[in-house]
Amino acid sequence: MRIRTRLCATAAVGSLLLLTGCGAADMTKQASPFANAQGSKTVTLSVQSWVGAQANVAVAQYLLEHELGYRVDTVQVDEVPAWDALSQGRVDAILEDWGHPEQEKRYVDDKKTITRGGELGVTGHIGWYVPTYFAQQHPDVTNWKNLNKYADLMRTAESGGKGQLMDGSPSYVTNDKALVANLDLDYQVVFAGSEAAQITQIKQFAKEKKPFLTYWYAPQWLFKKVPMTEVKLPAYKEGCDADPDKVACAYPHTPLEKYLNSDFARSGGKAAAFLKKFRWTTEDQNEVSLMIADQKLTPEQAAKKWVEGHESTWRAWLS
Amino acid sequence: MAAITVFSPRTLPAVLKHRAVHKLGLLALAAAVLVPLANARWTGGAWPDALTVDLTKPLTEASTWIVDNRDTHPLFLYFFGHVSNAIVLAVRAVYLVLLAAGWAGVTALGALVAWRVAGLRLALGTVAAFLTCGWLGMWVPTMQTLALMVVAVAASVVVGALLGLAGGLSDRLNRALRPVLDTMQVLPAYAYLLPVVLVFGMGVPAAVLATVVYAAPPMARLTALGLRGADKEVLEAVRSLGATARQGLLTARIPLARKELLLGLNQTIMMALSMAVIASVIGAGGLGDRVYQALASVDVGAALAAGIPIVLLAVVLDRVTGAAGNGSTSAEPRRTGWLYALVAALAIAVAGRLMGRLDWPDAWTVRIAEPVNRAVDWMTAHLYSGVPVIGGTADWAAHFTTWVLNPLRDGLTWLPWWSVLLLVAALAWLIGTWQTALTAVLVMAAIGVLGVWTPALDTLSQVLAAVAVTLVIGFATGIAAARSDRLERALRPVLDVFQTMPQFVYLIPVVALFGVGRAPAVAAAVVYALPAVVRITTQGLRQVDAAAMESSSSLGATSWQQLRQVQLPLARPALLLAVNQGVVLVLAVVIIGGLVGGGALGYDVVFGLAQGDLATGLVAGAAIVCLGLMLDRVTQPTERRTKKGA
Amino acid sequence: MSEAVLAETPVFSVNGLWKVFGPKADRIPADPELTALDPADLRARTGCTAAVRDVSFDVRKGEVFVVMGLSGSGKSTLVRCLTRLIEPTAGTLAIDGEDVRAMDKPRLRELRRHRAAMVFQHFGLLPHRTVLDNVAYGLEIQGLGKAERRARAAEVVAKVGLEGMEQRRPSQLSGGQRQRVGLARALAVDPEVLLFDEPFSALDPLIRRDMQEEVVRLHREEGRTMVFITHDLSEALKLGDRIALMRDGKVVQLGTPEEIVGSPADDYVREFVRDVPREQVLTVRTAMRTPTDGDAVTGPAVAPDATVSEAIEAVARAGEPARVVDEGRCLGVVDADGLLGVVAGTAKEAV
Repeated sequence: MRIRTRLCATAAVGSLLLLTGCGAADMTKQASPFANAQGSKTVTLSVQSWVGAQANVAVAQYLLEHELGYRVDTVQVDEVPAWDALSQGRVDAILEDWGHPEQEKRYVDDKKTITRGGELGVTGHIGWYVPTYFAQQHPDVTNWKNLNKYADLMRTAESGGKGQLMDGSPSYVTNDKALVANLDLDYQVVFAGSEAAQITQIKQFAKEKKPFLTYWYAPQWLFKKVPMTEVKLPAYKEGCDADPDKVACAYPHTPLEKYLNSDFARSGGKAAAFLKKFRWTTEDQNEVSLMIADQKLTPEQAAKKWVEGHESTWRAWLS
Repeated sequence: MAAITVFSPRTLPAVLKHRAVHKLGLLALAAAVLVPLANARWTGGAWPDALTVDLTKPLTEASTWIVDNRDTHPLFLYFFGHVSNAIVLAVRAVYLVLLAAGWAGVTALGALVAWRVAGLRLALGTVAAFLTCGWLGMWVPTMQTLALMVVAVAASVVVGALLGLAGGLSDRLNRALRPVLDTMQVLPAYAYLLPVVLVFGMGVPAAVLATVVYAAPPMARLTALGLRGADKEVLEAVRSLGATARQGLLTARIPLARKELLLGLNQTIMMALSMAVIASVIGAGGLGDRVYQALASVDVGAALAAGIPIVLLAVVLDRVTGAAGNGSTSAEPRRTGWLYALVAALAIAVAGRLMGRLDWPDAWTVRIAEPVNRAVDWMTAHLYSGVPVIGGTADWAAHFTTWVLNPLRDGLTWLPWWSVLLLVAALAWLIGTWQTALTAVLVMAAIGVLGVWTPALDTLSQVLAAVAVTLVIGFATGIAAARSDRLERALRPVLDVFQTMPQFVYLIPVVALFGVGRAPAVAAAVVYALPAVVRITTQGLRQVDAAAMESSSSLGATSWQQLRQVQLPLARPALLLAVNQGVVLVLAVVIIGGLVGGGALGYDVVFGLAQGDLATGLVAGAAIVCLGLMLDRVTQPTERRTKKGA
Repeated sequence: MSEAVLAETPVFSVNGLWKVFGPKADRIPADPELTALDPADLRARTGCTAAVRDVSFDVRKGEVFVVMGLSGSGKSTLVRCLTRLIEPTAGTLAIDGEDVRAMDKPRLRELRRHRAAMVFQHFGLLPHRTVLDNVAYGLEIQGLGKAERRARAAEVVAKVGLEGMEQRRPSQLSGGQRQRVGLARALAVDPEVLLFDEPFSALDPLIRRDMQEEVVRLHREEGRTMVFITHDLSEALKLGDRIALMRDGKVVQLGTPEEIVGSPADDYVREFVRDVPREQVLTVRTAMRTPTDGDAVTGPAVAPDATVSEAIEAVARAGEPARVVDEGRCLGVVDADGLLGVVAGTAKEAV
């Protein structure tokens, strides 16, 4: 009896070792267990939580699957953790990055586990927005200096006695708390906690034609549903946002970048080459985004529609 | 959930009253000495800065060190690396087997297992559930979640059973394990994510490990409980026949604990499933990820399409393992049945393979997203505002925020920090022993030391408000259900759905109805905690001694008198348990509340995960854990704790 | 009892046995000051409870030795000490002359497996096993093969009258049937001595009587030594060859049923046996007088170990005193007065 258990134990440990290989196991080189199932080559793409990123991925996925014969897995990960996942090879590519200098230095320059994949072709911009219907009635609201005048109108139960400046997902870059303090605004930053919550709230406000002030970014499909006008903040100058506590200027315009896992970039074959060449415009992205988010097409259907209409654009990526 | 133990409820208030005065007096004395001292040294109001410890730097450094050394340091290469690798391989193996079996094979296997274990009806239910998963176009994600679950549950069961075995056989280990397991039971699932992410990074290994840590405790508890609860005389009889310890364990103790072991398996599976969904935040993939992605595009319908398979899996797994625990099965005559079942499942799988029908055919799917979204839109459009007389949901939310949440939060933050501690001490001592009071005060103080006093009080105010609402609705519904069989039957599936539906799914409707802020966070918490409270209340009222009910009705009591004078007092332990569970569950949703504007600690944890800022996330997570411990101690009568393990 | 039996080594020989529960229990039997305390004082002084206090007795081969006492008297602890299911605190304890307290684990297991088997108050059956497998359980523990142990178990099942129920589970049986399974399980290992711990107190009165008769029958057929724990005096009197009466952990009287009923050692015992129908326990020896010349030689003859009630029947039927005859020799005479005296309890207590 005892001998048998010991045998079993030895066998179990032995097979585990055999399974994992003796010696070292570098978990930064382990792919997702769901990758490459059923013998097909798999590409794992990181989808960020906003719809623009979903649009990129949907089109890339559609072309990879239908034109290049890959199987595509998508994983939704927040921006910063996505860098880590990319470095570890759990995902193969990020198609839209809004600039993370710290991570770029660590993974691209020092560890060299991530490779730059070139620009996406879309320029991103963050800012403060009010609904256009409100801006038309009160044109001066679009300058930050007049915001305090409208604080009363922007009040909600959540912001208490002040006006509400709605911020979104915690994963987004934001200086809003510092901005409100440094520009001496009578506003309270209320974090919606997720983009979904923020969009839902914006739509509800818009339905009622209520005034609101929100952190938002372009390109974004929501502009087509709820037209919004940017509020001018003090102009952005290189380095004016260096100290997070003393920021008192607008957000920059950022060319969005693609990043690939280094190993994937080297040995990813056609898929890697395709993803490096993938480059489209803000309008293209918005078109797909809107189909997904507003017409409620599945990402796949939306991608199919776009691909059918823009063959010249994507043919170039495959060559 | 936890067993409801009965103690004499009648005698308690008198005793309590007597002891209560005593305890309060002592506490007042302690306060009279300590408070002026504290006040003189530090300011009143919020927690004094001098008493905080800033963990940001060490935590950030630790996190940076881990990221920098993950691919070089021996600890990672030779230990965590292997753990991670083994998980990846195991999940992959199961996933490939599931894919190779094809949808027909998996469905057949599931149905046949259900049939052998739980009978024909559940087998049909299983078939329906699997087919629905495919029909909703969720076959592959379902298999991914299933693969992850299989590995996580297997690991949880092994770990939990070993711990439980240790606790069941050794008194000393049991004493050491019990408080740890009790505590783990109280912690919100989210709190486990950050530490594993820190070590393993995003992905399936971290998700599996978080799931194991979350799901193993019930197995361990119930194993220990089962081993300890075995009939003493049977064990003595076994010993009297000269059995060795090992013979006794294998032939008597473990078989006698069968019911508890299967209940443990049941709970482990349920907890693993709920965790597998939450773990999508750290890259678990599968159904949870679909829900999470749908959330990003504000698509309730798509989220529901992924949420329904989760609910179905949960209900099927719950019923099947539950039936296994209740049925008295004889192993031997069934062996042949199992064999037939296995052969049949294999045959179906092979047939499916030969016909080339491994993947769920796309043509057989249906899109429910659109009609669901239309329904949700309609609902929110009509309820949000402008409903005559009662106002819209947005107005309610605003009123609730202004008149309940704000005063509560402001009141709590206005209180001097030491008075909050005193209040906690008094409550915990009244309901428990001085040990519970001490634990409660210490964990509350720990929140202050961590430097998140103010957000923690903000979170606390939301939790209190949510618990109050939950209890009012829950008790009312529970009482109604206890008095009407028809209502109870009607409620059962609803409660099942709400208990197992991933919380992500109802975030959007909640925001659409109540706007962004703390009110929707409270609403989400109420939705999540309500089923358990209703269940426990109903069960407690129904378990009231029939003789007591009979004697009161023989005295001509009206049903209202009966409820007030017999049922409620006798169901007191159950009601207290309902309060405790309500608190624990509401707290579990605090982080989810952070996603809809709840702010405070919940937002900090989400922020920490999203920004990879583990310092913020871990500190906030730890504070939530402390809040949970404090609230548990304050709401958990000692009687329950001392009797639970006996 | 005959001298031949006395000469044999007793099955159990218990001498000065103590069992003390509580902190530092060891010191109590050794300390004369502490042993003198009554239970309440002992508890107050040391926090300990002495369940068995300085108990000594022998169990002879082939006898039914009954330990009787009210609940809390320590009788169940005592019987568990015999196979060290509860570890005794002090004293000596031997089975067939072998020191039980000195046994190592394997030897003790051997004792439990082959030499002494126990029947429990609440049966102690394994609910997940069939009747047959429950009965075969002791053999399984011994390491017997499946076929052999089942065959042997089936025999014993038949012996206790459970044929046809082999495949049932304990939950499908009545209380009496369950205890038959418990009995069969103990018999299956063919032990030298059977230990019964209040085996019938959980049963209905009628069933209890059946089971008592079953035990009497088994004893008659097999002559196995039995140690029988009970709180029921009539059961003790019915089954016991000798009875040890316990109170607060001590044996207050040890003797045959007749001795216990006929000459109680103290007031406690006297109170205990007060309601016993004496005529059914006491033998004619207690009511017998030496024959005088006037006694007829024609009266009915009764054996010396016949009970008083049997003599009453004989005397009443014949209408004259009966002769007590042992192997043809007339030992004495019982008349109606003497018998009535026994029944009324006015007769002088015999020694």
